[in-house]
Amino acid sequence: MIEVSDLQKNFGAVQAVQGVSFSAPDGRITGLLGPNGAGKSTTLRIVSTVLKPGAGTVRVDGADVTADGNRARMALGVLPHLSGLYPRLTARENIRYYGELNGISGEALKRRIAELVELLEIGEFADRPAKGFSQGQKIKVALARAMVHGPRNLVLDEPTNGLDVMATRALRTLIRKLRDAGHCVLFSSHVMQEVAALCDGIVIIAHGRIVARGTPDEIRAQAGESDLEEAFVKLCGTEVAA
Amino acid sequence: MNLRKYFTVFYKEAVDNLRDRRTLLTVLVFGPLFGPLFYTVMMSTVINRQVADLDQSYTLAVQGAEHAPGLMDYIRQHNMKIEAAPADPRAAVKTGKLDVVLVVPEGYAAAFAAGKPAAVQLIMDKSRDTAAKNIGRARGAVEDYARSVAVLRLLARGVDPRAVEPVVVENADVSTPQSRAVLLLGMMPYFLLFAAILGAFYLAIDSTAGERERGSLEPLLTTAVPRSTLVLGKLSAVTLFSAVSLFIDIAALLWCQRLIPAAKVGIAVDITPANALITFLVCLPFCLFIAGLLSVVASFTKSYKEAQTWLSFIMLVPLVPVMGLIMFPMEPAWWMMLLPSMSQDVLITSLIKGEDLKPLFVVLSVASTLVAGFGLTGLAVWLYRRERILG
Repeated sequence: MIEVSDLQKNFGAVQAVQGVSFSAPDGRITGLLGPNGAGKSTTLRIVSTVLKPGAGTVRVDGADVTADGNRARMALGVLPHLSGLYPRLTARENIRYYGELNGISGEALKRRIAELVELLEIGEFADRPAKGFSQGQKIKVALARAMVHGPRNLVLDEPTNGLDVMATRALRTLIRKLRDAGHCVLFSSHVMQEVAALCDGIVIIAHGRIVARGTPDEIRAQAGESDLEEAFVKLCGTEVAA
Repeated sequence: MNLRKYFTVFYKEAVDNLRDRRTLLTVLVFGPLFGPLFYTVMMSTVINRQVADLDQSYTLAVQGAEHAPGLMDYIRQHNMKIEAAPADPRAAVKTGKLDVVLVVPEGYAAAFAAGKPAAVQLIMDKSRDTAAKNIGRARGAVEDYARSVAVLRLLARGVDPRAVEPVVVENADVSTPQSRAVLLLGMMPYFLLFAAILGAFYLAIDSTAGERERGSLEPLLTTAVPRSTLVLGKLSAVTLFSAVSLFIDIAALLWCQRLIPAAKVGIAVDITPANALITFLVCLPFCLFIAGLLSVVASFTKSYKEAQTWLSFIMLVPLVPVMGLIMFPMEPAWWMMLLPSMSQDVLITSLIKGEDLKPLFVVLSVASTLVAGFGLTGLAVWLYRRERILG
């Protein structure tokens, strides 16, 4: 469960996020949708504890990201914008490093890595250096790495960027599987179809503010448009929805 | 601080970078071996050439040799050959074909026989440095001959030859063989510190600017590890690489010094294994210092390339005091111990000279360098706690 309330963040004179509130419940896929530069990434980076909120609070399973950062981090798995693997380490070593950093070790870690290798179908390339991985392989390993400490909440920043159709479909199946296992999945995208195909709940963000929220049907109703893409354009304002 | 996590970061940085060929070559080969090899080859060449020059017999060009058979005999006995000078000796010297020509004029024999000063002429070009040695040999031979003839003449007249030598200069050289070696070894501290710096160079970049450029820094900061632990693990790995490079450098130097034919010119280059170990130990704090310095600077840069550019410049800064001491030699003083790199330079030089280290100097050097190193570490931790570290 991720709860964001009245979040604000400035970079110098730029107000990147101005009073964003939403909650992403367990067992649901929540999509953060918005045009480029709307404040999605900033919001996710605050949720994932690498940026500090200017004002407002973010709680992950009840733990405040500023006051109780380490407890929040233990409850979070983060797939960043770039996969950020270490090219000279193998897939398994990349995953193990994060496991150890999050306090797992020995047999427990070994078992956990074996589980993830199976779940994410990494086996074939688990012991190859990450240098030569395809984008899809990178995303899988980065996801395994994010989940190594068994967090309940997953934050995915534009995970399907650069994936081909097959890899995208495989990833969607996987994300649904995680939801059905009771995880809270919060992910961002600027692609309408992506969000429509996957999400139980949508939060549309533009100019650092939330302009709409709800299920896909509710969003359509709110904008008075039958087409979700039209609804998106209308809600975001024409000048940013290109 | 969580020790297990600290070792996890340390171990990962070390193993990860050992797989990078460029880093490995720099730490194990280029950084540590460049100095000793360069030095050995250079010294051996210089020494061998000097020795060869001394042993070489020199052929002196003489015009009118037939007028002075006694002088010619004397010259031949002193390891020089005689050859006839060309028709125009001045031109031959001017063009550099000959370094010097001895001209014995026709009147020489008559003047010599009469016991009057018999003039000979040395044609030379003093503006040519390379000719100086041969000019000296020619002049020395003639003067030695003159002196020995003078002694004989005085004896023939019943005069004690010592009467004409009221003052005798004796050269008393107080330099020990080791202190002469210092002249040769003056560049050694430079090479040692250079090895320590190069050892730290690539890992300092890879673990900071490189980590950010790859996009691996952001997820790393979402793990449940305090930033101080991250920074300490990284800096420890950089320090280790620097120390390994330094260690290999000293070991190589220890081995290479046996290859230098220093004894031929009367120099004892004698770094004992014990002194080498002490050298390593007094330089260890410098490894921490340079790891901190390079990492902090690299943390400010935006990319691997930019970090390389900056560090190539920054890595020269610690070498400035070392170069300064080569150009303007000064007596070791306590204040020098407060400056990292300068203090190690002074201590290494003392060790090479075979002097005992002053305990106060060692304590001051170690303490000041460690304080600077810890200060930089603290600065790095502070940098990593700021949001701007993400670039």
